[in-house]
Amino acid sequence: MRYIHFTQPIARSVVPTADFGGRLAASGIDRQLDWLFGTAVAGFAGTARGGSFPVDVYGDKDSTYVRAELPGVTRDAISVEVVDGSLSIQASRKGKSAGGEDTVSFSREVSVPSEVQSDKISAVYENGILTITLPRAEEAKPRKINVSVN
Amino acid sequence: MSLFNSLIHPASGGCATGQQHQARRPRFEVEETDTAYGLTVFLPGVAKDGIEITDESGELRVTGKRSPGLPEGSSVLYRETSDTSFELVLAHDNSVDSGKIEAELKDGVLHLSLAKAESAKPRKISVN
Repeated sequence: MRYIHFTQPIARSVVPTADFGGRLAASGIDRQLDWLFGTAVAGFAGTARGGSFPVDVYGDKDSTYVRAELPGVTRDAISVEVVDGSLSIQASRKGKSAGGEDTVSFSREVSVPSEVQSDKISAVYENGILTITLPRAEEAKPRKINVSVN
Repeated sequence: MSLFNSLIHPASGGCATGQQHQARRPRFEVEETDTAYGLTVFLPGVAKDGIEITDESGELRVTGKRSPGLPEGSSVLYRETSDTSFELVLAHDNSVDSGKIEAELKDGVLHLSLAKAESAKPRKISVN
């Protein structure tokens, strides 16, 4: 992020701040004002940082689903693996940096039920969300057993 | 360019008073060239028709509604994400040409190209 010099700090910044400050007081809502340079740098650091990402786990009677927020990652570089009840997700995103392009990596391990049909795991990537379907093994599904009483 | 942004914005046409207005600020990046600003907004889970971009009174507003959360009949085992909408408001003091804003959404990432207004471009004034 480059530092950009303000040539007219009074015209450009102080006036609108005062204006919104007035509205702020009137609205009574406590708001945080961030300036372009502060927020842009923070936002940049936040997105450029790789590592973890948020996930949801949910299930229905047939499957367990793991949903991960991974906006803008390269489709071909998404890797999903299940080993011993642990689901491993890896992805990467190409980003721009000062020196050109760079790659940001993400990875996360999630514990999943061990009774999963490993060969039937599927994944869909849409709108920046990766959804992994883990079908339950037959033995693990609830089963109704009829008992005949003589 | 005094871009700043906020979670909740007062005195806006779309935000009715009395209505609970919940939104969160998405992650974003700003790049600047001589002729334009490049804005990248991360909107995971937002489809094309869930995005609204307006530019009014020197403020650019991007809102993104997330697609409905979980499929029916499923139960949550663990939750880290939120279905709250995204909202980003950036004030630019009309230094952006509203007629030349281009937007592209791909895989939950919105790219906006904001051409600078003529008045905002650097200008050299010669002294006679």
